[in-house]
Amino acid sequence: MVVRESSRSRRFRLALATACAAGLMAGPASLGVATAARADSSSASGTTLRVAMSDSGVDTLNPFTAYFNGALDIFAGIYPTLTSIDEQGKPGPYLATSWTLSPDHLTWTFKLRSGLKWSDGQPLTAADAAWTLNLIMTNTVAGTANGTLVSNFASVTAPDATTLVIRTKQPQANVTYVSIPFSGIPIVPQHIWQSHVADLKNDKNDSFPVVGYGPWVLTGYQTDQYAKFDANKSFVLGAPKYDHLIEQVYKESDAAVAALKAGQLDYINGVNATQFSALQHSSGITTAQAAGDGWTGVEVNPGARTRSGKPIGTGNPALADPVLRRAIAEAIDKKTLLAKVIDGQGQVATGYLPPAWSQWKWTPSAGEEQPFDPAAANQMLDAAGYKKGADGVRVDPKTGKPLDLRLGIHSDSANDAAISTYLVGWLQAIGVKLTIQPMSMTALNSDLGKGDFDLLMDSWTTGPDPTYLLGIQSCATLPNDDGTGGNTDAFFCDPTYDKLFNQQATVFDPAQRAQVVGQMQDILYKADVDQLFYYATTKVAASSKVTGLITGQETNGFYPAQTSFWSYLKAAPVAQSASASSGGSGGLWAGVAGAVVVVGAGAVVVRRRRGADDRE
Amino acid sequence: MSTTPTVTPAAATDAPAGAAAAAPPRFAGARRFARSFRSRRAGLAGLGILLLFTVLALAAPAFIGPDQLDVTKVNGPLLAGPSASYPLGTDQAGRSVLMLLIWGARESLQIGVIATVLTVVFGSAVGIVAGHFGGFVGRALMHVTDWFIALPSLPLAISLAAVLGQGQASITIAIAATSWTATARLVRAQTLAVEARPFVERARALGAGNRQIMLRQVLPNVMPLILVSSTLTVAGALLSEATLTFLGLGSPTDVTWGEMIHDAFFGGAFTANAWWYLLPPGLAILAVVLGFTLTGRAVEHVLDPRMENKR
Repeated sequence: MVVRESSRSRRFRLALATACAAGLMAGPASLGVATAARADSSSASGTTLRVAMSDSGVDTLNPFTAYFNGALDIFAGIYPTLTSIDEQGKPGPYLATSWTLSPDHLTWTFKLRSGLKWSDGQPLTAADAAWTLNLIMTNTVAGTANGTLVSNFASVTAPDATTLVIRTKQPQANVTYVSIPFSGIPIVPQHIWQSHVADLKNDKNDSFPVVGYGPWVLTGYQTDQYAKFDANKSFVLGAPKYDHLIEQVYKESDAAVAALKAGQLDYINGVNATQFSALQHSSGITTAQAAGDGWTGVEVNPGARTRSGKPIGTGNPALADPVLRRAIAEAIDKKTLLAKVIDGQGQVATGYLPPAWSQWKWTPSAGEEQPFDPAAANQMLDAAGYKKGADGVRVDPKTGKPLDLRLGIHSDSANDAAISTYLVGWLQAIGVKLTIQPMSMTALNSDLGKGDFDLLMDSWTTGPDPTYLLGIQSCATLPNDDGTGGNTDAFFCDPTYDKLFNQQATVFDPAQRAQVVGQMQDILYKADVDQLFYYATTKVAASSKVTGLITGQETNGFYPAQTSFWSYLKAAPVAQSASASSGGSGGLWAGVAGAVVVVGAGAVVVRRRRGADDRE
Repeated sequence: MSTTPTVTPAAATDAPAGAAAAAPPRFAGARRFARSFRSRRAGLAGLGILLLFTVLALAAPAFIGPDQLDVTKVNGPLLAGPSASYPLGTDQAGRSVLMLLIWGARESLQIGVIATVLTVVFGSAVGIVAGHFGGFVGRALMHVTDWFIALPSLPLAISLAAVLGQGQASITIAIAATSWTATARLVRAQTLAVEARPFVERARALGAGNRQIMLRQVLPNVMPLILVSSTLTVAGALLSEATLTFLGLGSPTDVTWGEMIHDAFFGGAFTANAWWYLLPPGLAILAVVLGFTLTGRAVEHVLDPRMENKR
């Protein structure tokens, strides 16, 4: 009975998604009443770029409170930022054309462009930027999403229409990363937002077209369906080549892939390994791998403590022993994980900062690499007094208890599930028993915050500025004694690391800063608290009928990080000649057959049971 | 796993209606049952399917070692189509899908059968007690049952599995907790009918207590119904197991059919056209569910005099 319901709703959703896509294809008339008026005048003609929205979706269109990638993607297209990020991952011009730093390293002066206009015709000046940043600094609600980025700002002023002056409390090296597309602060029009400040928390920002400035103008949004945009043909960094942009929501990535194959979609950023391998051989589709902007690994509880040093949580005390953590690290074959879990589409991880931002690249010095060597791991544990019990599980010499550890994984992640089965096998080989506990994201994060874990699957991505990702390893992010205020990644705390963390924030020469950051990565690597497996590439699939979606030059098989800001801006239609051919449909038929089978069987059972129920 | 072989003889002993006194030799009933059952081709086919899967599941450890299912030890090609050495191809980790399918039969059937036993025991107990006592107790029990029926079963099972932690045990309990209501109502109705018959009154007049009447008079007479309903419940339990594991409530180290479909679907086998990974577990579920349904239906026809056309 249960199966019938679920498979039907799944199929229904798939059908719905396809229907929506078809509806979008058919024309703007079917897009909904709310936007019909505008759609008639603007979207009726011209070329349309259709892309899949990030699967995290949109939490809110309010740029002060939104966290989800789908929302950040939209803001990058419709609100300006002080700087942009070039293909090398470094700050480049956007609103600001140049910037200078005072000799005391405390005052930044940005020169802004003149003559820009918001989409409603009002002038866009430094006053808008100053107002936005000041609001985030002073209003807690406005600081919900990006407050931490400006916490070190002392004042922001706009002496004239083209000058913005930012004074920081302490020297801060990453000011040019604070307002960048996607991961930074979007600048909003003061004349629109100043009347919304009173009720900012509940502001949905849904009067279309949304007043902003960027390559696109948001003209419509339907929750869990789509967001649509018109191009800003006078955009200062170059006009978009398409007239319209539609970001379509797909609940199932396979549905998005099917739409791409059928020519109903032009671009998916983030297909999984198996889909990527299949799409590589599909005609009419271009694929690319961008160097990973994040890592996947496991965090090991080194003995959770509060900021004052009070132990908390139920972590196994044996894991406080660095020898055991190192043995676990050397028992895990990262190359196999890379090859089998994500089809080799990535790089084996060593440094804490991912390869997408090559300026922070760090590799362990010769002789300090941690190899895959279960024999050495076993010797290490033998020498440290972890004796094997009768069942092959080692015993902690300090507590006399067997090493039976919990491994928390995200229950909705196929990769976590795959990785966990390998970890169980490998750790068994060194006499450590792992029990897998699949958990929801919320439950997992709650256990993490309370220190109630032994090992947890973990993954992080980062923008070009590493401050946040480095920060979650500092002692200052440990929770208070009452359990609140914590933001730590894995209860790592090391005074030397903290000193370097404060130092890197004030080093202004990029090469010198990278060197300090390298020392920090060295400390993390040797601590084995965050054991990193691989940096998965960001896998992109695009229709061959569109060029420019994949940005940058390929080196060693990897493209630089792909940002939707540049991809959508540079996308251009190829001359209409070839039509996309749809790929093999074997999988589709297999799926349909499977669904029919399950539904049919379910129907039989239900019918029989109903018959039995009615009988007496 | 071996429910089917035990079901048939057990059913046979209690088959003749009202045979509480057991005057004819017990085996005569069994023989009569077997004869009627044999004349039902569909039932025989269903039984054959079940026997095949049961034998496969029981014999699996003889030819599948842990090394063939351990992802860290296998070395097959990744997600490759059927070949001579891998008749049903391989999964994303390079394991043989055929081996997974056979091993999956063990765990899937185990969950299905245990959940059914729990369902039937609990449901029958509630049904007989409610039917026998009537009055306040009966009404209270039936209200609880109605309340459980009103709960949407899928969300209930999902929340139960989430609360109990993920894995086989919690899925088994979740299935049992959501499917006992049908059995309870069925058994209560039959209990009411049986208790109205004269022989129960006779037993009561002879001084039989509540327990005596429920266990010696009513239970043997509702047993055929319970058995029929349980074969159909197994089918439902198997489907529920597949659903819950497909939705990600299983443990990734377990190998069940639902887990296989889950891994295949969310690992992108659909896009990779890896039909050999998606289809076999689905067909296996179909075959076993069909087997239980056909068998159950045939047993129902043989045991129920009103459905029996040539007797």
